[in-house]
Amino acid sequence: MAIDIERRDPRTQSQGVEPGYEQTGKRWPSQALRRRPQTAAELAGPVAVQRRLQPVRGDLAGHGAKRAIGQLIHLRTRVVDEDGAPVAGAVVEVWHCNAAGKYIHPNDTHDAPPDPNFYGAARLVADGEGLVELRTIKPGAYPVPDAGGWWRPPHVHFSVWGRVWLSRLVTQMFFPGEPLNEKDAILNAIRDPQARERCIARLAPADNYLIYDYQLVVRGRKGAPSLA
Amino acid sequence: MTLGPFFPREFAQGANDLTSVEGKKAAGEVIEITGRVTQADGRALDNVVLEIWQADAQGRFDNPDFFGWGRAATDKDGIYVFRTIKPGACEGRAPHVNFLVLYSGLMRALHTAMFFDASKDPVLDAVDPAVRRRLVASKTNNSYRFDIRLRGEHETPFFDD
Repeated sequence: MAIDIERRDPRTQSQGVEPGYEQTGKRWPSQALRRRPQTAAELAGPVAVQRRLQPVRGDLAGHGAKRAIGQLIHLRTRVVDEDGAPVAGAVVEVWHCNAAGKYIHPNDTHDAPPDPNFYGAARLVADGEGLVELRTIKPGAYPVPDAGGWWRPPHVHFSVWGRVWLSRLVTQMFFPGEPLNEKDAILNAIRDPQARERCIARLAPADNYLIYDYQLVVRGRKGAPSLA
Repeated sequence: MTLGPFFPREFAQGANDLTSVEGKKAAGEVIEITGRVTQADGRALDNVVLEIWQADAQGRFDNPDFFGWGRAATDKDGIYVFRTIKPGACEGRAPHVNFLVLYSGLMRALHTAMFFDASKDPVLDAVDPAVRRRLVASKTNNSYRFDIRLRGEHETPFFDD
């Protein structure tokens, strides 16, 4: 498969060590990342990661007595490449904290209550139009422990496989109109305002309920169609 | 301070054995790849997510009986383990395994690659000779050790794509 991956634009990426986010100074490499040639190995796949990872949970909000606490929302995510072409069958992982700001993860030491009806992780497969829909509840904002008053705005984590190894993307989606977006050390690590804008979902205008539209743009310009 | 991403533990479970896929066993030499992930002060890191991508024993990426992608997470001692097939050389490349590292404190995923020896390879050659050895695993029987130091002394070389 012939595919051409454009180099990342540094203005759309964090530089690694971020003031106000202490752990980055212990974990981001001190040496500059090396440029490597792109060879068949990085441009060959993986295709259909669901061969190894099964889809899990298509609905995080639940129903009736098992309904999670919080504002019900729909997330409508489209996986596209840089030309806007949908990535059909893309595997998408989604995870977020509950309405009180607590993750299901045992390493989350934050003293907010868990919600027994909320398990905040799903793995979905995009349809032929690259579309993935998830019914869930809106995550809460939460203070970052020992971070001098930094609160994370409500956000949703996404992990997606594009067409090849170099198009793998792990990112965060934010909600429009949230005051904490302006100050968040993670969102604002991206210097380019337009690139930050692309991290913020949009309330779907044509509907009278809370649907958020979000685009996950993976690298892979001019990807050749598969002709099996 | 603990800050996410709190990558769900279940996402990393059951995906670190590449020796079979959909019930089909891959041909080739079964090996283990293991190592420890540490940060600048040497502390071992728990729940670091590592993903790998590699060719099959013949250096192919389109073998229906081998799926060259896997994922593992480190334990409390910073140790990860993969079970896989030793990859063959492909199109001008020495045998290697591509690695992706995801963790809190990493604003974006880090790419690196593990090699089985210091053979000629265009990606290995992109790394300064003084630190190239850090991308070559050490072998004990059928187990290859590849430690990843995110920052500091013996820092692993990472790639920008």
